[in-house]
This record gives sequence, C-alpha cells and structure tokens, in this order.
Amino acid sequence: MSKYRVARMTLSGRVALVLFTAALVGICAMPWWASQGLIRDVVTLACYIAVAQMWNMLAGYGGVVSVGQQAFVGVAAYAMFVLAQTFGVNPFLAVFLSLLAPAILAVPIYGLLHRLEGAYFAIGTWVVAEALRLVATNMPMLNGGAGMSLRVMTQFSAHERAVASSLLAAALLLVTLGGSYLLLRSRYGIALTAMRDNPVAAASQGVDVGRLRLLIFIATAVGTGFAGAVYFMAQLRITPPSAFDANWANLAIFIVMVGGIGSLEGVIIGAVIYFFADRWFGEYGASYLIVLGLLTLVCALYFRGGIWGLWSKWVEAPWFPTRRRLIRLDGDKA
Amino acid sequence: MHWIDGIVQGVLLGGLYAQYALGMALMFGVMKIVNVTHGDLVVLLALIGISLANVAGLGPWAVLATLVPIGAALGWLLQRALLNRVVGNDPLPSLIATFGLSIALQNAMLVIWSADTRSLSGGGIQQASISLGPIFVGVLPLIVLICATLLTGGLDLTMRRTRFGRSLRAASADVEAAAMVGVNPRNVYAAATAIAVGILGFAATFQAMRSTVAPADGPFQLIFAFEAVIIGGLGSIWGAFAGAMILGISQAIGFRISPGFGILAGHLVFLAVLAIRPQGIFQRRA
Repeated sequence: MSKYRVARMTLSGRVALVLFTAALVGICAMPWWASQGLIRDVVTLACYIAVAQMWNMLAGYGGVVSVGQQAFVGVAAYAMFVLAQTFGVNPFLAVFLSLLAPAILAVPIYGLLHRLEGAYFAIGTWVVAEALRLVATNMPMLNGGAGMSLRVMTQFSAHERAVASSLLAAALLLVTLGGSYLLLRSRYGIALTAMRDNPVAAASQGVDVGRLRLLIFIATAVGTGFAGAVYFMAQLRITPPSAFDANWANLAIFIVMVGGIGSLEGVIIGAVIYFFADRWFGEYGASYLIVLGLLTLVCALYFRGGIWGLWSKWVEAPWFPTRRRLIRLDGDKA
Repeated sequence: MHWIDGIVQGVLLGGLYAQYALGMALMFGVMKIVNVTHGDLVVLLALIGISLANVAGLGPWAVLATLVPIGAALGWLLQRALLNRVVGNDPLPSLIATFGLSIALQNAMLVIWSADTRSLSGGGIQQASISLGPIFVGVLPLIVLICATLLTGGLDLTMRRTRFGRSLRAASADVEAAAMVGVNPRNVYAAATAIAVGILGFAATFQAMRSTVAPADGPFQLIFAFEAVIIGGLGSIWGAFAGAMILGISQAIGFRISPGFGILAGHLVFLAVLAIRPQGIFQRRA
C-alpha cells in the first residue's frame, strides 16, 4: 500500500511568492528610488487591487454580490479624516483606527440586507451606500457637501509622507492579497471554496454558511475600508460624492470579471489592465466607459473565468496555488 | 395643513414611483432577477421621447403612445438577446451582465444626448391645477396617479384572470414544472420583460413631463423602484403600488423637514421596513 501526501505548493507558486515579496520590499523602499508620480501611481494601483480583491472574496468565494462597496471606502476614509483632522490623532495611526468604522458598520448592514434574496441584496447595498453619502452630505461634523481637507499632513515633510504612503500601500497589498491567500489555504479556504461551488452541499458538510458569510462580509468591509483610508490620505481631500463614488464598485466589478472571478491572479491582471486603460483611454471619457461596461457584460455572459480562466486552460501554473493535490510518496504523481 | 399637503404630494409622487416599480416587481416575481438597467431604460425612453417631440413635433400623448411600444420592443429584445442567457439560481451573472450594460448605456446616452437635463413640454398641462378644499393638486400628477392605479389594476387582473397571467405565475412558481405542462419559459420571460419595459414607457413620458431627465439619472430611478418593491412586499403587484406610495410620502415629508433630507428619508424608511417587517408591509409571513 503506497503512502500519500497532500501538496499545495507548486514551482510557479514559489516563484510568484518570491516575486510578490520582492515587489512588497520594492514598494516599501520607493521613497529612495521612485519619483513622487510613481509612488502616487503605485498607491492608486494598490487601492484598486485591494478593493477588487475584497469584492472577489465576497462575490467569488462568499457568494455575496454587492454593488455598494463604496459604502466602506467612504466610511473608513471619513473616519480617518475626522480622527486625524478633527481630533488630532496621528494620521498614520488614524488609518488603522478608522478600520473599526467599516467593521462595526458591516454587522448591522449585513443583518438588515441578508433578509433580501440574491440580486436584491446587491441593490440593497447600493441603497446603503447612497444613504451614507446623503448622511455625510448632511453632517455638519463632516463639513457637509463641501468636504474636508487633511491639513494636518502639512506637519510632515514630503519625504515622510512618501515613506508613509509606500509603507501603507505595501501593508494594504500584504493584508488584502496575502491575507486572502493565507485564508484560502487554511481550512476556512476549503469551506469558502465549497460554499462557492454549492452552498447547500457545503452546509450539509458542516459549513456554517450564514456565519461564514457574515465573517467574510465584515472582513472584506475592513479590507475595502483600508483601501479607502489609504487612497484618500494620498488625495488629502474628501467629499461625499468622491468618497461614496459608485465608480469604486464599477472598477471592482470590472477588474474581477475581466481578470477572472474566484482567483487572486485574475485580480492582479484585471487591476493592471484597468489602471493602464484608465491612464491611456480615460481622456475619451464616455466612449471608454461604454467599452468597459460592454467588456464586463461580455465576460459575465461568455467568459465567466475572465482572462485568467482562459490562460489557465493553456498553462497550469498558478501564482497563488490554493488547490490541494495528492502525491504518492514513491515518486509517482497520483 | 402643511403636513396634509405633504402627504397628498407624496401620494402623487408615489404614482410616478409605482410606474417604475411595477415592472421590477413583475420581473423579480417571474424570473428572480434584477435588471440593473431598469432606471437607465426610463431615461433612454424619456430622451427618445423628447427627441421625437423636438424632431417630429409630437405632442405629449403621441409621445406616450410611441414610447410604450418602443419600450415593449426593447424589453423583448433585452430578454431574448441577453437576459434569457443569465436567468438561473445564481444571481451573479444576471446582475453583473446588466450592471455592465447599465454603465455602457448611461455613457452611450451621454455621447448621444450630452449631460444636459431635458424635459418634455406638455402644452400647458404642467401648470394646470385644481383645488381640493384648501389643497391645490396638479392636474399632471393626478393623471400620473390615475394612470399608475389603472396600470396596477390591469397588471394584477392580467396575472390573476388571463391564460397568459397563469403561465407567468406557473413559470414563477416552478419553471420546470411549467415547461412540462406546455409553457415555454423563454417566451413567457420575454413577454414579462416586454410588459415591464413597456410600462416604463409611461414612467418615462411622465418623468420627462413632471421634471427633467439626464443620462446619469438611471441609478436613482432603479433605487426608488427597488425600495418601493421591498417596502410593499416581494412578488405582490398591489404591494409594489403601496410601497411606492409610502416611499413618495416619506420623501415628500422628508423634503418638508429639510430639503437635504427628502431622498434620505425614503432610504431610512426602506431600512426601517427591512428591520421591522423584512417580508414587506403588505405581505403575509410565508
């Protein structure tokens, strides 16, 4: 009788892990080698990747579709502005403290909305985001529709701000991408994958689907909020329409659908495509957005796996392997 | 008087929202899908109507008579070309497909009609009002409310009394069983969406006459329709009508408390209904 062992890591996975670590180190060291403009671009790209990956975890694994993730972007960003600007908390500490806001808010939002069936849940999240935008517009403490500026940042030198932005961007990627990777490799990952494939069957195997969905909703709210706080710290200015901009949901959905839902690799590919598309074709405004919308539509109809799904059919080389393979110890692959 | 006037204006506003909500209630009831372009279709039809009025010199009622069949045709096409591929237990494909289409549609309208707000001239009817005791009621909002009531009643009777309504209800209850007894789900679905978008032809005409439309307005109308359907209770045609009234009254009273609070008041009532009676006000617990 042969003995077996479970393997998850692949050669491509090891190479990708080295590259991912190198990229994070490179991002941390940006103030010493990159221009201000490049740092800004990397922070923006990191925010896109984070928001998209959080939506991917929610929709691609949790089976919970939301079109109102901008609610958490805005709430965390505003919490950070209030803590830093109004209460004088150190802005970099405020970024992390502000993550409590989306975490606390996610619980009642999920509690209310999970009573709605599938597609109605999604529209419900949109209503919540709209309601929060209007609350922010009407709140004197947040300076209403005029928005707030992060004037406290002037106490730091440009170099200090660059160091903070770079470290925050690296932390954001580490938490959202690295965190998702670790989660998917753990036993929770098996439960999530089972739930993605068939919630009823997963429940019958002992997965507490309701509880897991609530937890993933809270976790992705925090990750999305993290991206919001980092993004608006770099912007130095926030208004209700920009903080609760539906475009956050648009870009997350575009990135995940085009890159490939249910994979970490797809999010990176999609985010890079979106970033450069926005850079190169953004000037065409409406026509560019028509193409973006139609691409999302086509992917939802015909290419459910997106670009990564098509690529994986040709090349079996995952960057973030989460599948478990059975290996026979006498050398032959089973 | 201030508040009674608010309620009356709210009911009249609810008449317009009912016209948004009926189609959404019908589509979700039959197919369990949400068409994210619902609001954008209102805007599209309204802009087509305004262009028709300007180019061909059509009056408001001729515009209405044109937009309803155009809407029905658009709905039929939408279902045949797109939605029939994504109807199913998984809400993701239909939601994402129509979400993408919604972005494309909004921006296509922006290219064609620019971001200007436009409205449809009603030939003096917009200014006309009648007095009910001490309260003045606009003639046009009253026509909208009567129209909404007739549409709701008509749709409800169609669902309950006709052969077509029976096939709709059958497909809604169990699509496979319905298919076994000779209902073709694809045809039934296409007819349901054609009716839903056809009703939006009314909503578009009245929206363009009562206020203004611009290409980016669609999401708001989608949200109002959705709130009305949830407040009233899923799957019930008269529930959607009543939900629209409650939403209209909430917004009208909110606007009287503070102009910035109107829309938010509607959202808060929606959330309160979810918290207290998630099955909707007019739905009995299953």
